[in-house]
Amino acid sequence: MIEVFFRFEFLQNAFFTGIMIGFLAPLLGVFLVVKRMSLIADALSHVTLTGIAFSLLMSKYVTAFVLVNPLYMGIAFSVGGALLIEQLRHVYTYYKELAIPIILSGGIGLGVVFISLADGFNTDLFNYLFGSVIAVTRVDLWTILGITVIVTTFIIIFYKELFFLSFDEEQAAVAGLPRRWLHLMFIVMVALVIAASMRIVGILLVSALMSLPVAAAMQWAKSFKQMFIFAILIGEGAVVFGLISAYHLDLAPGGTIVMLAVGILILSISVRKLRDGTVVSLRSIRRPA
Amino acid sequence: MEFLEALTFIERGVVAGVLIGIIAPLIGSFLVVRRVSVISESLSHVTLTGISAAVLLSQTLMWVEGLNPLYFGALFALVGSLLIEKLRQEYHHFQELAIPIILSAGIGLSAVFISMAESGYNEWFSYLFGSIVSVTLSDLYFILITSGVVLTIVILMYKELLAVSFDQEFAKVTGISVRSINFLFSVLVALVIALSMQVVGILLVGALITLPVAAAIRIGASFRSIIIYSIIFGELAVLLGVYFSYHLNIATGGTIVMTAITILFVVSLGKRLWQWTTAA
Repeated sequence: MIEVFFRFEFLQNAFFTGIMIGFLAPLLGVFLVVKRMSLIADALSHVTLTGIAFSLLMSKYVTAFVLVNPLYMGIAFSVGGALLIEQLRHVYTYYKELAIPIILSGGIGLGVVFISLADGFNTDLFNYLFGSVIAVTRVDLWTILGITVIVTTFIIIFYKELFFLSFDEEQAAVAGLPRRWLHLMFIVMVALVIAASMRIVGILLVSALMSLPVAAAMQWAKSFKQMFIFAILIGEGAVVFGLISAYHLDLAPGGTIVMLAVGILILSISVRKLRDGTVVSLRSIRRPA
Repeated sequence: MEFLEALTFIERGVVAGVLIGIIAPLIGSFLVVRRVSVISESLSHVTLTGISAAVLLSQTLMWVEGLNPLYFGALFALVGSLLIEKLRQEYHHFQELAIPIILSAGIGLSAVFISMAESGYNEWFSYLFGSIVSVTLSDLYFILITSGVVLTIVILMYKELLAVSFDQEFAKVTGISVRSINFLFSVLVALVIALSMQVVGILLVGALITLPVAAAIRIGASFRSIIIYSIIFGELAVLLGVYFSYHLNIATGGTIVMTAITILFVVSLGKRLWQWTTAA
């Protein structure tokens, strides 16, 4: 089953990328969920599509752009989108949650216009949307490795600050943490991870990899640290098995990975419910005596 | 109904667009006020699951072939909206997690279905990004009937919907069955998404539901005026969008959303300018 992944270079690329994003996405996802911003990943991934579409369009007219990896443009756009969301949250003081759908739909709308102009409705676009096992090149692999190193270092160095900020923003600000700066850096990290994950899971499914393993881990974890460990384990499991089965069953890898994650989530919820249920019923039996 | 059959494909698209331009911002106003505007995003992704399931089934089972995938889409959207409510109770402390979960599950499942169904990419792109020329006569009937139903329900139940949207506690005290109104509202949202999808595309339905309302909220003084403004903006976005889409040969969903964004931008700028001049 798995040997084939070491025989061909493109499958190796996909496999190693998968392992990296299976680690990165849930890692940031934990902070996103706890900060109650899990939807921001959705908005940013759609904006990444805009960047990629823009890059495709430019490479049609400007020859120099052909050499630029669309990934970089995607990263640039999603960082820009993150800044815009922050800006919009100040404009709509009473309806802060409107900022995300505005950016999400604006991003995808603009992306569609770019794609139309570039005549880009083809297999390539489909791979960007839903992911592909064969799309990862060696250059992508190195870029993603770079992103992994940057993001992991960031999280390790600022773990305490991020932790503090996630649970009690007011207190953290009072304690003198540079809230705005940290938040901005964190969003940039999210943008980087989205761009890295996009090749394999596809733009429409990146956010799933950030929220589903965390949602499942929440059912088991008893502490914040445990949540990280479980989320990453679940993420890795979903990515690795998803990739292998997608290759063998000839399905879109993004879809299989996400469906595996959904399966784990459903299992976690029902197991926990069952366990809680038995505990409750045992208690109710004992109580009269 | 005979005049409908006489319409050309582009006229069919415009009629569908005009109807959607009324219905989507109308429901959108309620969604924004309830602070659940993102729900439309996740339900539209679930609609895609329904459609891809219908396409896949029609390839494998004979009797599904004649069925319009739209019905399947509407059905899935409805189930999705009920699931979201369920999950919101499950994740008490992280209610907003319900939406990404349903969204991801919906799109993940559709990705699997799409890769299993051996259809051309172009068919999917028209579902994803909308195409005004793809509105068939049976789609038009569906759109016409559902918009009639949605409009009637909103007019008849306006007071109840309003009460529940603004203050659930208060509504409960006055004897309104909040549960059934919420269920009714989920049905309405699912219907609106399924019917808008054909013209603007699944990925952009959410935009048509929220953007006109986001612009209207900047200038509307009451809920009623927000609804009226948002419908005006919605119509404007749809009609200009269709016009540009046809002449510039760009996917309809894209131009409609870009027009809506431009309206939002102009309205925000206009408001700021007005505030600035009156202040000075």
